[in-house]
Amino acid sequence: MEMSDEAGPFHVEKKTGRAELRRVCLRPPSAQAGLTVPATMTRAGLFVALLVFAWLVWDTGADPIRLARGLPWIFDFLRRMMPPDLSVLPAALLGALKTVEIALLGTAVAAVLALPLGFLSARNVAPGAVFYPARAVLNFFRSVDTLVYALVFVAAVGLGPFPGVLAVVAYTTTSLAKLYGEAVEGVDPGPVDAITATGATRLQVLRFGVIPQVLPLFLSYVLYRLETNIRAATVLGFVGAGGIGFYLQTYLRMIDYRAASTVLLVTVAMVMVVDAISSRLRDRLV
Amino acid sequence: MIEVAGLRVVLPPSTVALHGVDLSIGRGEFVVVLGRSGAGKTTFLRCLNRLVEPTAGTIRVAGRAVTGAGAVAVREVRRQIGMVFQQFNLVRRATAIDNVLAGRLGYVPPIASVFGSFPQADRELARACLDQVGLGHLAERRADKLSGGEQQRVAIARALAQRPEVILADEPTASLDPALTSSIMDILKAINTEQGLTLVVSQHQLATALAYATRIVGFRQGRVTFDGRPTAVTPTVVRAIYGDGDGDVR
Repeated sequence: MEMSDEAGPFHVEKKTGRAELRRVCLRPPSAQAGLTVPATMTRAGLFVALLVFAWLVWDTGADPIRLARGLPWIFDFLRRMMPPDLSVLPAALLGALKTVEIALLGTAVAAVLALPLGFLSARNVAPGAVFYPARAVLNFFRSVDTLVYALVFVAAVGLGPFPGVLAVVAYTTTSLAKLYGEAVEGVDPGPVDAITATGATRLQVLRFGVIPQVLPLFLSYVLYRLETNIRAATVLGFVGAGGIGFYLQTYLRMIDYRAASTVLLVTVAMVMVVDAISSRLRDRLV
Repeated sequence: MIEVAGLRVVLPPSTVALHGVDLSIGRGEFVVVLGRSGAGKTTFLRCLNRLVEPTAGTIRVAGRAVTGAGAVAVREVRRQIGMVFQQFNLVRRATAIDNVLAGRLGYVPPIASVFGSFPQADRELARACLDQVGLGHLAERRADKLSGGEQQRVAIARALAQRPEVILADEPTASLDPALTSSIMDILKAINTEQGLTLVVSQHQLATALAYATRIVGFRQGRVTFDGRPTAVTPTVVRAIYGDGDGDVR
């Protein structure tokens, strides 16, 4: 009796916090749901995983010997890339600049567009009638990669960096919205309670109770997305959406491997520089 | 000042947290709510400003209806009720003074406040409240750079900035070093005696409760089992609140 007396109501108190929060309300992220699996299930799972693995190897024709036979060709390819043809360096640098521009503009626009979507897809802020459709829409658009969007936008607005920007915006908005939403769901309910208790409006509660908690996370996600978008934007040129990828593809088609290697080196340098700057900025945010 | 009648709270799915509580608290009382974890203390306090939605019953605070009030009316009555929490619940990345300023949110123009603009009078009031708890010199320090005791004092200043008639404090010293208990309780007591505010404070510690309260209300399993002066708290009463053979009052 004593036990249930203690345990029961204690659990209630924990729930109190959540029940009340249905208004400004914060529920725990679904990710926190625990999983415990018995040992026999683990073994059965392992067996199934091995079967699936074997089938995958067979069905994709994965063959180490074929890889070994192909290695000389890779070395030949690398040899023909040496030394890099530095005469195309100015063009490559211009291409890299354009790629950075595409990623920067696309990420910046997406960072803003994702704000309302992020709050609408947070279970603890949006009512269910909004939350579920918002999540569904986000998942739908997020399942298409930037490159596929680029194909669509090149067809719609023509060649050049602009369709690249649109493609980055399309993918990044939805992926950031999901990250924003999860950050909002993870906020500490304490300050939200405290602001609510002062008699603040819902908008004030968001501004003073939620935003200060999530803003550093939001900025960190934006920088992280910028890093991945730089990489994504390097291949946008392959489908005519501007940037350094265009030069890489052109030189490869012209079988000018030495020029292509210069472009590759510039790409690597560009990604490394942006990553370094971005991760330094992110460190400061936490 | 606080009128509670037939207050019943059922938390989803079917846990009864409060079984019909009737309580009347007068102006200027210092009420300490005692009880074990889960006895319903927190739920009771959070009902008084509708952070928890009562299932049945009526609550009036400072002459205004809390239950049945619409969104605007609830905000108006909340302004009259300052709240202090066990975990302080400050906005960690904001400065002490900005946290106190949040106590004015119910009064200032909402849209302007969202853009960070507060009337000068409200800024001065916030400043005065921070001075009152002895932290004027730490106004510009970020909340997460303050000690626990300092954070709780900022939280009290935030409640004071509401110019409330009632202050609710939910286990205000439970997260603090025991040595700090009296400093926080002394501040609350001073607010009670000097400004005449009505205080409702939940407490774990019996000795602290008896030292500060003008009235003790004991909760057990969602019911009021004792209501009287601290001098009337006998060992029998303690058993009625905390249960038999379990003196685990800490």
